[in-house]
Amino acid sequence: MKNNIKAERAKLDITQQQLADKVGVSRQTINSIEAERYIPSTVLSLKIAAVFQKTVNEIFTLENDD
Amino acid sequence: MESKKLKNEPVLLPLYCKKIGLAILLMGLIPAIIVKLMHLALEPAPKEMFKLLTSNTFLLGLLMIAWSRDKIEDEMTIFIRLKSMAWTFTWTVLYVITRPVIDLIFNDPVENMNSQEVVMSMLFVYLIMYFFQKRGR
Repeated sequence: MKNNIKAERAKLDITQQQLADKVGVSRQTINSIEAERYIPSTVLSLKIAAVFQKTVNEIFTLENDD
Repeated sequence: MESKKLKNEPVLLPLYCKKIGLAILLMGLIPAIIVKLMHLALEPAPKEMFKLLTSNTFLLGLLMIAWSRDKIEDEMTIFIRLKSMAWTFTWTVLYVITRPVIDLIFNDPVENMNSQEVVMSMLFVYLIMYFFQKRGR
């Protein structure tokens, strides 16, 4: 699953730590999600999408092998 | 946005229990080290009792450390805990299978495995796997 969290963060000019604080996880978790090493739960995906005021589908995209 | 406690979060001890666990662990470890270093000769019966007490205290300390929350406990740490448990399970099965073989290879008498020894190795593997996976995030 791909995501464009890094680009969205850049648009809002917020750091990984600031995003992590907003959604209530650690900075390392945000880093792992951005690097596509970890797929977040539905709850966390919704929280992240809400920070960027977008839908989950606009932030996360399924790939062919998912 | 306020972070809410996840509903599928496992039941863990509070963060301060990590320090209590460490204190309990040292309470089991330090007397054992002192007796070993000072070559104190204990009678067989008190020696067995002492060994049982120190190892049980040590195990309780390890368990409290393993089962305490982290500063930031989120869904990824829960996932890492789960993966660590899977590794621990695999390790335990392999340990139980290979231990008698290793004893045979080194011509040691094949003894019945001590349950405390197995549980201690499980807790060590769990903590090591958890630590390294957390660092590698």
